[in-house]
Amino acid sequence: MTDLREKSVAPVVPEKVGRKRRIPPAVAILLGAALILILTYTLPPFRNYQLATVGAYFTVTAGLTVLTGLNGQLSLGHGALMATGAYTFALTQNRWLSMPLSVLAAIVVTTLAGVVIGLAAARLRGPYLAGLTLAVAVVVPSVTSTFDTTFNSDMGLSIALDPPPGTIPMERWQAWLCWAGALVTAFLLATLTRGRFGRDIRAVRDDETAARLAGVHVARTQVLAFVVSAACAGLAGALFAVLAQSVSPGAFPLTLSLFLVMAIVIGGLGRLVGALLGALLLVLLPALAQTAGERSGSQHLEGNLALVIFGVVLVVVMLAAPGGLASIRFTLRRK
Amino acid sequence: MSTENTAHELALDHMTVRFGGLTALDDVSLRVPSGRIVGVIGPNGAGKTTLFNVICGFVTPAAGEITLDGRAWRPRPHQLNRLGIARTLQGVGQFGGLTVLENVQVGARGHRSKGEKASRERQSEKDALEALDKCGVADYAHRLPGALPYATRKRVELARALASRPRILMLDEPAGGLDPEEIRWLAELIKGAGTTVLLVEHHMDLVMSVCDEILVLDFGKPIALGTPAEISADDKVTEAYLGAAA
Repeated sequence: MTDLREKSVAPVVPEKVGRKRRIPPAVAILLGAALILILTYTLPPFRNYQLATVGAYFTVTAGLTVLTGLNGQLSLGHGALMATGAYTFALTQNRWLSMPLSVLAAIVVTTLAGVVIGLAAARLRGPYLAGLTLAVAVVVPSVTSTFDTTFNSDMGLSIALDPPPGTIPMERWQAWLCWAGALVTAFLLATLTRGRFGRDIRAVRDDETAARLAGVHVARTQVLAFVVSAACAGLAGALFAVLAQSVSPGAFPLTLSLFLVMAIVIGGLGRLVGALLGALLLVLLPALAQTAGERSGSQHLEGNLALVIFGVVLVVVMLAAPGGLASIRFTLRRK
Repeated sequence: MSTENTAHELALDHMTVRFGGLTALDDVSLRVPSGRIVGVIGPNGAGKTTLFNVICGFVTPAAGEITLDGRAWRPRPHQLNRLGIARTLQGVGQFGGLTVLENVQVGARGHRSKGEKASRERQSEKDALEALDKCGVADYAHRLPGALPYATRKRVELARALASRPRILMLDEPAGGLDPEEIRWLAELIKGAGTTVLLVEHHMDLVMSVCDEILVLDFGKPIALGTPAEISADDKVTEAYLGAAA
């Protein structure tokens, strides 16, 4: 073994050819923050509210794309994890009236839930994992009606939020809060997935045996990936609670979990830009559907149109760009 | 055996592995002295890969004991890298979504020897690039492995094993699918690796030219153990490969 080290004293380090140059996460995040700040001062209140919703969705899709895209674990239960975060936020906020504390509590409780599900998930593969997380998505909302003295059943809980500081309008304040959460999450995830952890989770996705032989603790890596994405979902849940100023089981149905997965697939699996595009679609497409439904004058159409549009977009995007929207390159240098 | 008195880095004692009714390894003992190149050969289904899987902890033996550096040892796959044991898989077990450099970096965990100050990430990249260079595939560092020729991917696989700076290198059919030119290169690499090597291989010229000692398995049973010259002269080995003489 010493021979090998002696030989590597004067290594011939080859020129780095073809390495992709990437914008450092910190720069992208600061640019994003500046853009959001400008937008919140120029957009009307309702658009600000929609912008805030995009931020909240981005918080959860970013974590989900790391789990599903980079580590290959399909979760159909992230809506339920969001519900966990949202309810934790509501209960702590109503008791202690401290938003930072409540957000923290939401993240911690959801992370703990993520540990439990993640431990089980690390033993399951493919459809069995999907089944487990699906069960979580179905069970968690119904907990609220079982323990209705705490969670107030289908009525949900209203949340006593502190008013925004100074004369900042509520919608702008909400947009700031949501995007602060989203950008911090994106920054942490980008930093985390750049180095060894990022390589390891992708290695586990591609070949577990080879990863194990290369020294990766497969189960630990999978649990960690699940926990990280659960923490993101918890924060997103708290942000949704801030947005709605209330929580109810109806806000976190099974379809939410499915929409989240669809969004990251359409946006481009495993990429934060894809998660952002997916979050944008999660807000834009239902809004589009609502407008279309109102124009047509049919009330039956309104509820289901969003689902149809999402399905059509999914099919079209997968046909045109199997890597998702983020994989599309607009180049003029085409030969 | 000429190695009775040397320190054995890795030793298997009376190893037996059963898969249901099939006995894949039947009372196999092997001593791997430090710095030696030990080959394991035998017809298909003889238990060569099973032997590797036992050492890597993928298969739990029904009986027998493994010792590492003289101490009883129960192998766990993900700990091998830290213990300085690297194994390549039959064929190419690569991470398709990672670049060649990243593939090798997964194996290069950035363990520093004393006096080195680089961060783990830098160290890992440095080790990986050195290993790629040693295997002659540094030019492909930022390509995805899926698009590369088979022989190149085999080299990447070797680089991943070498990047962990192993003291024991376990190669499972490294010559499979390589042309004579590549095999000559591989022989040089194995001889110059400066590590203990355990080699499972079908390519007899390679095994005979690089190995200090060879273990021959047939239907899970050890039938011969000796130097390449002794093995080539062994009647039982010829019989196992060519069938019993009528």
